[in-house]
Amino acid sequence: MMTRVQQAIRNYSVFLGRCARVAFIGDWRYYTWMGALTALCLLGLHAYCRQFANGLITTGMSDQVSWGVYIANFTFLVGVAAAAVMMVIPVYIYDNEELHDLVVFGELLAVAAILMCLSFVTVDLGRPDRFWHLIPGLGQFNFPASMLSWDVIVLNGYLLLNVHICGYLLYCRYQKKTPAKWFYIPFVFIAIVWAVSIHTVTAFLYVGLGGRPFWNSAIVAPRFLASAFAAGPALMILAIQIVRRVTATAPMGEVTRQSGGTLTPKAVHKRAATAADLDVLARLLPEFTSVSNEVRRQILSDLTVLDVVTGDELLRQGETDKHAFFVLQGKVVVQREESGRSRITRTCLPGDQFGEVSSMAGTPRMATATAVEPAQVLRLPAETLRKLMKNPQMNRLIHARMTERLMITDRGLMTLRGIVQVAMLINVFLLACEVFTEFYAGGLHVASSKYLYLGLEGHHALVPWIWTAIAFDLAAMFLLVLPVSRSLKWLNITCVLCIVGIWIEKGMGLVIPGFIPTPLGQLVEYTPSVNETLICFGIWAFGLLAYTIFLRMSVPILQGRISKANEGVPAVELLNDSSASPESPTAAAHA
Amino acid sequence: MSNDHRHRNPAPADVGMSRRSFLRTSAVVTAGLAAAVASLKPLMEMNDFPTAERFMQKYYKEMTPADMDKVIKRIENEVQKQYGIRPHVRDLKPMDGVEFAYFLNLTRCIGCRKCVHGCVAENNQSRDPEIQYIRVLKMPDGTLDPEKGQHNYDPPKVPEKGFFYMPVQCQQCHNPPCVKVCPVHATWQEKDGITVIDYDWCIGCRYCEAACPYWARRFNWTKPSIPKERLNPNMAYLGNRPRRQGVMEKCHFCIQRTRVGRYPACVEICPVGARKFGNILDPESEVSYILKNKRVFIQLKEELGTSPRFFYYFDV
Repeated sequence: MMTRVQQAIRNYSVFLGRCARVAFIGDWRYYTWMGALTALCLLGLHAYCRQFANGLITTGMSDQVSWGVYIANFTFLVGVAAAAVMMVIPVYIYDNEELHDLVVFGELLAVAAILMCLSFVTVDLGRPDRFWHLIPGLGQFNFPASMLSWDVIVLNGYLLLNVHICGYLLYCRYQKKTPAKWFYIPFVFIAIVWAVSIHTVTAFLYVGLGGRPFWNSAIVAPRFLASAFAAGPALMILAIQIVRRVTATAPMGEVTRQSGGTLTPKAVHKRAATAADLDVLARLLPEFTSVSNEVRRQILSDLTVLDVVTGDELLRQGETDKHAFFVLQGKVVVQREESGRSRITRTCLPGDQFGEVSSMAGTPRMATATAVEPAQVLRLPAETLRKLMKNPQMNRLIHARMTERLMITDRGLMTLRGIVQVAMLINVFLLACEVFTEFYAGGLHVASSKYLYLGLEGHHALVPWIWTAIAFDLAAMFLLVLPVSRSLKWLNITCVLCIVGIWIEKGMGLVIPGFIPTPLGQLVEYTPSVNETLICFGIWAFGLLAYTIFLRMSVPILQGRISKANEGVPAVELLNDSSASPESPTAAAHA
Repeated sequence: MSNDHRHRNPAPADVGMSRRSFLRTSAVVTAGLAAAVASLKPLMEMNDFPTAERFMQKYYKEMTPADMDKVIKRIENEVQKQYGIRPHVRDLKPMDGVEFAYFLNLTRCIGCRKCVHGCVAENNQSRDPEIQYIRVLKMPDGTLDPEKGQHNYDPPKVPEKGFFYMPVQCQQCHNPPCVKVCPVHATWQEKDGITVIDYDWCIGCRYCEAACPYWARRFNWTKPSIPKERLNPNMAYLGNRPRRQGVMEKCHFCIQRTRVGRYPACVEICPVGARKFGNILDPESEVSYILKNKRVFIQLKEELGTSPRFFYYFDV
């Protein structure tokens, strides 16, 4: 007989196996994208092998400029990783439901960004074969003196924290279990503090060097945080729109057209609920058994059982009525239309509820619910649901489930826009402070800044870069404060400006000029070599590949399309994008 | 609501594995593997893979004398194999009651750069690409700001009127930023004041190079190359033994000479006697005499609190 532990291990391995399988399923766009990324990764790997064999002489670095684009990218990506997690603040501290599912996406982005960070520092090492000297216990770890040893701890700790949080949340969603708060909420709060720490430590890497006046300024850490909070959410705004677009099952209107444009009462067979129906519900929902027979008798008269056929709509986005539903049999898909496309936000199986949020709030329906196979549902008015929720177990269950849906609303994007807006204003302000201090006071130490902004003694390789960055930053800042960036098109342009501007400002604009001129006043410029650039592209491709795979795995789980309940069904069938339409093979498989 | 979207037919589900899809999958997998192998090709042309012995080598301070003997044997064999000369590698420890100090007389220095070449020859520095521990700055009279110095001066004759010359090398700080930042303790300060590097422990992150305010550290960007006939076979483990690709190196006050009572190469070769070196703890030493009798000393960038053991002075 299997012990519980063995069972748990088996379940978890099946979960991982199915996730892995899902990563290989997609349409031609997915395969093209993944193929292109893999090719870039391999090109990068080839370039790295060349560097490994011949040394860092294959880069554009020198004893004068001894760090280059690797460390520049590393610095930028630490910011992305930090900012991605900071988005959990509105969710957990201010209870902003709109951003709830974005938390998982944000944390997955953080994981991908940290993987890229670790790759970038690894390729920068002269002796990557000696990496074990850095492992505490095995090697010699100069902690706490070296800021680099702090970075090793905070980056790896951050990676583990985020892998734990999103891994746990996704696994719970997969099992349709309510996550145990004590098992992830404390980690979420640790991760928030930790996010600040990873970027601060990375800033201190530079700030702590007294011999480099360009970096040796207390404002660098706040600047890093501000720019990260602009670039990170900007990246998220773009990423989740792409998720929203590619997970859209169909252009808007298709589903409703099929059902004839109105609710289809003809197909619906209605009858009053009986005690037997409640027993069915109790079997599906163990929590319901705690509802006393007296309450059951009281509510029975309010309940209706509907028998629907494939394609029937049970409620429609934008309409207002006061009913909530429990699925007793069959399968109902909940789809939300946003920006002209509709997406599955949830798949409801027997025992699941839908429609309860807007019914209780009295607001218009946020999504459309359609039966994708012949189904039987229990309909109850909001008042009855409230009565049920007086039972603490039901209350907890229904509340927990209310948060379980894949919502990517425009309101959520606008919340992110607010974050980018404030962060960008602070970032530009801090940059201005820095520039003022350097140039107004003048002195010996202004050489690096002069080199960066104006050029020095005929050397001005970075001048076009930094002015591009400043122009982009300013343009993004103005767009963000203008109402025009409330339209997604302009918001996206703004986000691209933010990301590019900050990438230059923080990478080429911060790391490189710190080395020019050298502490002995020598002016040697730096341009990344082709090989070095290829390695950078390879690592970016690797990061995007990882993030795409993470999203590919997590979206169907968040949508409820892949869960423990359908363990036996091949993923290919579950992911077939037309499963919402009546001819769906899934429907046939379950009929 | 717009109804003009074309209806998308669901693709037939890919149930089971047909012969065609099998062929297609295997073609993709084969192509992928071939590409992966091709991308690893530069590794196959490498002939200097770290051996298990080198990979597992212990940290300098954790080696027993027996461990050290073994490692030294191995290094001697490796050098002999590569250069055809049997070197004499020693693990020299700091002497009791000795702390080194260096004094450089800026009035005397003529900027001939003999010290640079003497150092390269003594310390087995790479000739291609060139690595040098000493950088001589040609300074206009009246300033000590290194940013005003010229690095690549090349007149037919030195010294030139209106200039003085300031050689800069590792300042052997009391409070070395490079040691503080090293994440793996690969560089540290010894009892006699010399900051050394365990070349076999350094991971090549170059954080120390960024931290040094005197630009005294050098990185082996590729495999160093030294002509066989130029190799100095008198070597120290923490000193001038040949380095490998990907590690840091720097001036170590010629540990292989100074720890057995000789002068550093740069002191010995200086044609004008501008360089003075000795034990500052010995009141009879030349450096103690200079410290007692000269008026003004310059410690470069002393505002950084590094407190160099390398002093500049003028003969007035």
